[in-house]
Amino acid sequence: MTLVAPSPDPEVRRSGRAAQRRSWRDRHHDALWAALLLLPTVVAIAATRILPALEAVRSSLFHSLPGGLRPAEFVGLDNYVTLLSTEAFRDTLVRTVVFNLVINPLQIGIALLVAVLFVQRLHLRGLWRTLVFVPCTIPIVGSSIAWGAALGPDGPVNALLAAVGLAPQPFLTSADQALACIILIASWIGIGYWMMFLIAGLQEIPAEYYEAAKLDRAGPIRTFFSITLPLLRRPLLFVLVADTVANFVLFVPVQMLTGGGPESSTSLLMFDAYRTTFGYGSRNLGAAEVVILTVIMLVIVALQFRLLREDKGAR
Amino acid sequence: MSTVVDAAVGGATRSRGRGRRLALTVVAAAVGLAFILPAVWILVGSLRPTEDIFASLSPLSWSLFVPEQITFANYVNLFTGAGFGRALLNSVVVCVSTVVFGVVMCALAAYALSVLRFRGRGIVFVVVVVSFMVPFETIAIPLAGLFTDWQLDNTFLGLVLPGLGNGLAIFNLRQHFLGIPPSLREAAVVDGASEFRILTQIYLPLSGSALVNSALLIFLGQWTAYLWPLLITTDLDMFVAPISLARTFSEHAFDFGQNFAGAVLLSLVPAILMFVLQRFFTRSIAETGSK
Amino acid sequence: MALRTRTAGAAVAATVLTLATACGGSDAPAAGSSDWSLPAQDPTATITVVGIVDPVEEGMNDVIAAFEQEHPTITVDYQFVPFDDLNTVLDSRIPNKNGDPDVFWADMPRIPATAERGYAEDLTDVFGEFTDSFDPAPVEAVTWEDSIWALPIANSSQLLYYNADLLAQAGIAPPPADTANRITWEQLGEDAKAAVDAGAQYGMLFGQFDRYYQLQPLPMSLGGSAGATGERNLTPDITSPEWIRAFDWYGSIFAGGASPRGVPPEQTDPLFLSGAAAYTVQGPWLLPSLVDSGINWGVAPHPVFAGGEAVTPTGSWSLAMNPFSDAKEAAAIFMKWMAIDGGSGYTTHAPEPELPAHVDKEAYFAREVFQTPQGQQAAQILAYETANTAVNRVETVGYIEFEEILGRAFADIRNGTPAEEALRTAATELETAWAQYR
Repeated sequence: MTLVAPSPDPEVRRSGRAAQRRSWRDRHHDALWAALLLLPTVVAIAATRILPALEAVRSSLFHSLPGGLRPAEFVGLDNYVTLLSTEAFRDTLVRTVVFNLVINPLQIGIALLVAVLFVQRLHLRGLWRTLVFVPCTIPIVGSSIAWGAALGPDGPVNALLAAVGLAPQPFLTSADQALACIILIASWIGIGYWMMFLIAGLQEIPAEYYEAAKLDRAGPIRTFFSITLPLLRRPLLFVLVADTVANFVLFVPVQMLTGGGPESSTSLLMFDAYRTTFGYGSRNLGAAEVVILTVIMLVIVALQFRLLREDKGAR
Repeated sequence: MSTVVDAAVGGATRSRGRGRRLALTVVAAAVGLAFILPAVWILVGSLRPTEDIFASLSPLSWSLFVPEQITFANYVNLFTGAGFGRALLNSVVVCVSTVVFGVVMCALAAYALSVLRFRGRGIVFVVVVVSFMVPFETIAIPLAGLFTDWQLDNTFLGLVLPGLGNGLAIFNLRQHFLGIPPSLREAAVVDGASEFRILTQIYLPLSGSALVNSALLIFLGQWTAYLWPLLITTDLDMFVAPISLARTFSEHAFDFGQNFAGAVLLSLVPAILMFVLQRFFTRSIAETGSK
Repeated sequence: MALRTRTAGAAVAATVLTLATACGGSDAPAAGSSDWSLPAQDPTATITVVGIVDPVEEGMNDVIAAFEQEHPTITVDYQFVPFDDLNTVLDSRIPNKNGDPDVFWADMPRIPATAERGYAEDLTDVFGEFTDSFDPAPVEAVTWEDSIWALPIANSSQLLYYNADLLAQAGIAPPPADTANRITWEQLGEDAKAAVDAGAQYGMLFGQFDRYYQLQPLPMSLGGSAGATGERNLTPDITSPEWIRAFDWYGSIFAGGASPRGVPPEQTDPLFLSGAAAYTVQGPWLLPSLVDSGINWGVAPHPVFAGGEAVTPTGSWSLAMNPFSDAKEAAAIFMKWMAIDGGSGYTTHAPEPELPAHVDKEAYFAREVFQTPQGQQAAQILAYETANTAVNRVETVGYIEFEEILGRAFADIRNGTPAEEALRTAATELETAWAQYR
């Protein structure tokens, strides 16, 4: 009989049934503690997130007229078939995936750069960090108004462009530029937020590694890619996954600034799902849209976990 | 901390170090200023009458950021008309309670998920990850119905409960705990320490920044919550700040000045908190002397 | 056309009256006979009322207090919900079937959808006899399939405001104040452009850019329909020549610079009040701020297309009753007090009343803003429009989808999409959205 968990308790080495009884407790020591520590949280999460989510999945298999009072009838996968056979919805799906393929690396790349800057030795570091962090604390209504005003046809950004001799841009009123503007606004909000997590991660990297690199006469770029990034793997996985989710469920700037337009160019999946559920009152169809959204997210997040997984034994 | 940079740069002389520090400060200031500009516009807007906010947008001039007349009427009206003071208080109570209990719960859970080994650990972790992927809007209405059935509407408990199990905070702490060398725990187990003591006396002291970030996650989630309080509170006295802020926009009247004033106040709390809590960011494993 | 809908509305009202006075005779269709009625004596009850009128800023607390004084045994628990969130809250609470809230604010154009979803109690039996307390258009709006589903408590109209100084600066004559001799949209567009050329920052604004409420009169003034035809108004009619011509004009004012792109509806009032715009088409709610603003303003009737018919937007809020309410008598007493009693309790007791749906507008026109010369002119115009040119928004169960899809089409037209293309895309989308209702 081999012990599964390391058990340095010298008492265990006593022979006989006493040893067996203790090793059961030892063997299940971790599981018992885990149950105790996890219980309140798992209960909270199950009750407030998982169960309602399962209910939403169930409701996506039904159909009723809008409003929630009319009895719903079971239609199986009909809602999904309806959605996926609508061209507008397929366009929204593609648009959402493309949007996320662009915005996630962009936000995290810039957040990382800014984080690296802000762990350097410089004056009033805490102040600059806070300034970059503030955007994520402003109520999104206020931020949307501010950016809508900034990007207006007669707004300050166009005035600046004019000052350097460029033509004024339509920004949010153009089907070609509106989505890019949404990316800009969402990034402005998110970069400071993710930066804080990356700063924490950067500060965890022990100095010895950098000293060793210095001894090897490695330049800053090589140091960054062979020392910093690999050692940033764990916080980077968190930021990557969390940012992916945040961008997939983003919809308020679209709701406030473009309503999905111009010409549906900013119609993203979560916005569409929100409009279907809360605007039109079609809960079942909206639930189906969210299920599709969540499945896409799960796939991408699973890939990210795989990409940044810990190599066993690498420490 | 400075050794990290000096090492990466490759041994700067003292004067080069000072010059470098100054140059980096300028860059950092530029970055900070670029990000804060729209927020400054909102701040300035809160100190003007509403009509001036948009009139000064074009043509572009200094009046965009420098108001002709400064007035505090927006702030005053916010508190006297829209009941913002009471709402702010409610928000603080809800958020502090959520953070206090939430951080404890999430730290315990993260410890179990990263340090302890047990069957089903992977499944529990998957459940935790999936839990923060489900958009809250999807589950809000059914959950609100449930809470109303349980008589939790218009209660602080009803406002706090959904914010306690924060999958993201658990995930964040778990990632951090994974980085703490297991040798520390093994040594403590040899000394006969319980898991609880290991968590509180070894892991938590090494997790300053991760705890701050997780607390921030939970705090911001509750501080900015709108849909949940909308569905669960009907009493004007129980309104939280974001809902109270919505009172500045009625069907036909949009008091941007007041709205911006509320936005400034709402932004100040987490911003100041973050600024102050950064002192906990400097603790790291590098300083424990563990190899 | 306006005339057709108004006579149709009168016909509906007459039918309802006949049905109600027939006292449940066998030839009355099964419009839901009520098992409750207005009691002779007040019951003792507490009712929950969900509304969008701010209790402090807009004085709803005063209104509630006045009601409770006149009806001491009924307690009203008024619950305020931000305007944008009303439907979310109702969607969350009414389907619970526990009768909460007892009474709620219901937007008039959504009444068919509200009724169809089962959210509203049929009020025909109890309130059918009171319909002549109201203007004709609000009554029509709360009636659907020969039943009354809500009681109107407010109405709206639109006026053309102008900045006299900016007009003088450009040498433009102010629009005529006579409702029989209104300025045309074409002329307004030209004048607005002239104002911009002479130095005004903006030419003309619409209080609610890109919204069906605001723009409905454009195609209807040319003789187009309200946007839907066919059985139960579930066939889109937004690609007729009148519609396309109207919205070609709408798109042209932005392309030509008479009106700005990128200004959201919420910001038009501050811009006009700061003197940045020469004209704005907006409701009477602009008047108080206008009087305080210090700009030199004037008011004129809502424009028409040359050779077309005068049509103005209308409609506002009504009170509906939850069919699952367990305090229907008390709720009915409250609703009757708010909408009907003493010239509408809501109008007479609100500190700053809105334009009433009640025929008695005395309390409203007694407001301070109407005592100035321009204010009196505004009052005359409003009285005329609500009685003669007001047309309700299209009555269909698919109104919510209609308003949202059209709103996006109008926004696209404003941003440069050709009118015909945008309207045809919207019509296709609407066909799909309405398929479930046919």
